[in-house]
Amino acid sequence: MTELTRRHFGLLAGASLSSLAMPSLVLAQGKPKVVVIGGGPGGGTAARYIAKESNGAIDVTLIEPQKTFTTCFFSNLYVGGFRDYKSLTHNYEKVKKSGVKVVHAAATAIDRDKKQVVIAGGQRIPYDRLLVAPGIDIKFDSVPGYSEAAAEIMPHAWKPGAQTQLLVKKLNALKDGDQIVMVAPPNPYRCPPGPYERVSMFAHVLKKKGFKKSRIVVLDPKPTFSKQGVFAEGWENHYPGMIEWQDPKMHGGVKEVDAKAGTVKTDLADYKAALVNVIPAQWAGKIARDAALVNNTGYCPIDAASMKSTVDPNIFVVGDASIAGEMPKSAFSANSQAKVAAMIIRSELTQSRAFPARYSNTCWSLIAPDDDIKVGASYEPKDGAIKATTTFVSQKNEAAELRKQNYKESVDWYNGITADIFG
Amino acid sequence: MRRWALARLRTISGMTIATAAIHAMAGSSTAADVELGRYLSSECTTCHGAAKADTTIPPIYGLDQRHFTEVLRAYRAKTLPNEAMRSVAARLQDEDIAALAAYFAAARPR
Repeated sequence: MTELTRRHFGLLAGASLSSLAMPSLVLAQGKPKVVVIGGGPGGGTAARYIAKESNGAIDVTLIEPQKTFTTCFFSNLYVGGFRDYKSLTHNYEKVKKSGVKVVHAAATAIDRDKKQVVIAGGQRIPYDRLLVAPGIDIKFDSVPGYSEAAAEIMPHAWKPGAQTQLLVKKLNALKDGDQIVMVAPPNPYRCPPGPYERVSMFAHVLKKKGFKKSRIVVLDPKPTFSKQGVFAEGWENHYPGMIEWQDPKMHGGVKEVDAKAGTVKTDLADYKAALVNVIPAQWAGKIARDAALVNNTGYCPIDAASMKSTVDPNIFVVGDASIAGEMPKSAFSANSQAKVAAMIIRSELTQSRAFPARYSNTCWSLIAPDDDIKVGASYEPKDGAIKATTTFVSQKNEAAELRKQNYKESVDWYNGITADIFG
Repeated sequence: MRRWALARLRTISGMTIATAAIHAMAGSSTAADVELGRYLSSECTTCHGAAKADTTIPPIYGLDQRHFTEVLRAYRAKTLPNEAMRSVAARLQDEDIAALAAYFAAARPR
């Protein structure tokens, strides 16, 4: 068997005898197809890498309803006034130039038997391999009294766009003496240090306005959180007495939020606040749940060596929707996972070389101007799960110069990763 | 030896003696696997992809292979600061570093 026929054997296997007599026609029709659902850090990266690295040998279609994508990562810097909203927004023009066909429509269903994605309007897009990167959906009912309608008054701002703008509008409208309450999310959720960086940005804005009487209460369902020691130290240094973080033993559980009244009731106390930021529990985006790619956790189990779904060999899941072992749900993780998936997908469809999976992540968090902390790790598949091989985290009492360097590094990283995702 | 070679590289370009020291360390008997380098490079581009001469994260496309090799080895040996880079370098074998150095020396941004 020649290299050419071996390469396309899988596609030829189902062809009729007459088709086999016209191999060139079959090959033209049989260009392998990859469809990517979701144009964020996972999907955008995967689509671009498959298209560019395969040099046109694979037909890549990216399905993303929005014409522009506003990043959730760095949105806290918009909350703190360090960036404008526009600087977080990216388009797909360079993704298209990478050879990706971008379809701006919502993917409404995955027909796994027929290997087709159904988009709004009913059109079906066939695939040989499908990469699903829908991110998270908010579980509104995980917080009693909370709902999609309530989020218009008490924003979650945990998905980018109008919610983040609403949060900033409410923050900027506060008067001295107004209170802020954050209902923090339970594990696992998007961006583990994110809520605490956001609290830091709230405090920064209050401090900058010269407010003396406003306070921030964080009602957390978790006993500990990411980079807790360095966050706590930073809050004490920059915002003494302004932030009160409560673990579940201190508040006894959030019993109800009332958006119209602006109240949050816990087992031990009631709070009335001008700004309530409710970050509920989360799960994989709807399309992944509807296609039964999730298990009882609400997220998608994957093979640690490839990011391939454990329930469908033609589907890969990357990013926040996946169960990626010890990797946090972050844009960096999604970007890293997408590159492994892209490499494996190319290998399966064009017999390009496959390499052992290597993953990495770093999360930077800004506490105050020029005081930025980070946590990160390298990861590899081990015993069926993605596990950390080396880890690092910022320490207490670090030099101010190092923290300033971290901030500059985070800005450079933002420019780097958004170029990697969107071109 | 290693610190010395790095210091020489940083201060004097094209020094024959430094070059010889690095070639001896690299044991350059086999050709670098550029295809492996291309795959491994995707980890680097996340941060370095948009780097410019004046950014904190430095540009790495077109870097001299010997310099690239020595810097990554220094991160691996934890003689250069930056925890993220130390973590990246920790799992790189000599052949991985050679592959990356060969790839970035000739590659353009994706």
